[in-house]
Amino acid sequence: MEPRLTKKEEALIRETIRNKYSQVAAASPGSYFRYPTGAEGLRRQRYPLDLMRDFPKSLIESFCGVGNPFSLGPIHPGEAVLDIGCGAGLDTLLAAKMVGPEGRVAGLDATPGMIEKARAHAVLLALPNVTFQVGEAESLPFPDNDFDVIISNGVFNLTLDKEKALKESHRVLKPGGRFMLADMVLVAALPPEKAGKIENWYQ
Amino acid sequence: MLKTGFHRASLTAFTGFKTSPYTEGALFYGEKLVAAQALESIISQTVLVEEPKVVECAPGGA
Repeated sequence: MEPRLTKKEEALIRETIRNKYSQVAAASPGSYFRYPTGAEGLRRQRYPLDLMRDFPKSLIESFCGVGNPFSLGPIHPGEAVLDIGCGAGLDTLLAAKMVGPEGRVAGLDATPGMIEKARAHAVLLALPNVTFQVGEAESLPFPDNDFDVIISNGVFNLTLDKEKALKESHRVLKPGGRFMLADMVLVAALPPEKAGKIENWYQ
Repeated sequence: MLKTGFHRASLTAFTGFKTSPYTEGALFYGEKLVAAQALESIISQTVLVEEPKVVECAPGGA
């Protein structure tokens, strides 16, 4: 169980995360993460590079996912997909290629700078079946039973109320819909001097 | 995920990306039940309890 945070701590965490990802949006993510990002990250996670040949360099470089949610199962032509925490839009735009013109994809991110970048990438790729908007995973701006698939990559760990975010995901999925998530998990106990620190949220 | 209603929820694999000395990338999958699956799920989780047998006591308490 996560320790209860004060409103002030929650506000600090949200603001710091938003600031960090605003900086990531304005630059290349490489220096912000310990694991491979950009083209190397995509190659190591076995992304379908053949579908990404026309992706602009800035979109490829923006990849900082912790895994490959597409490896969890196929996305079919005509389906509706939501990408929670879409960042600069790489997974969203890849999903748009998979669903084709009969499908639709929505990308949502809490950082306005990321949404601007994602929209610019969608314009470059001339994909008409994609929309991007600013929003939070804990209060999804979509009706019930709206999507066939939800994808997310390295974002749920940043949500302050994970149960609420999961309930929202469940709400907007159609019956039979698939939730395909890549995220980070704790695999070793934190040393006592690090445990329970607010800084852990955004390091 | 199970608590929020997902069906077939599981951590399917680790991705090999060490995001810190204490954390690693992982893949999770879940599905939202369709109505028919929900009914099946309820039935499969229902424990059938046999009615208690009533046996008359023999004279003398045997």
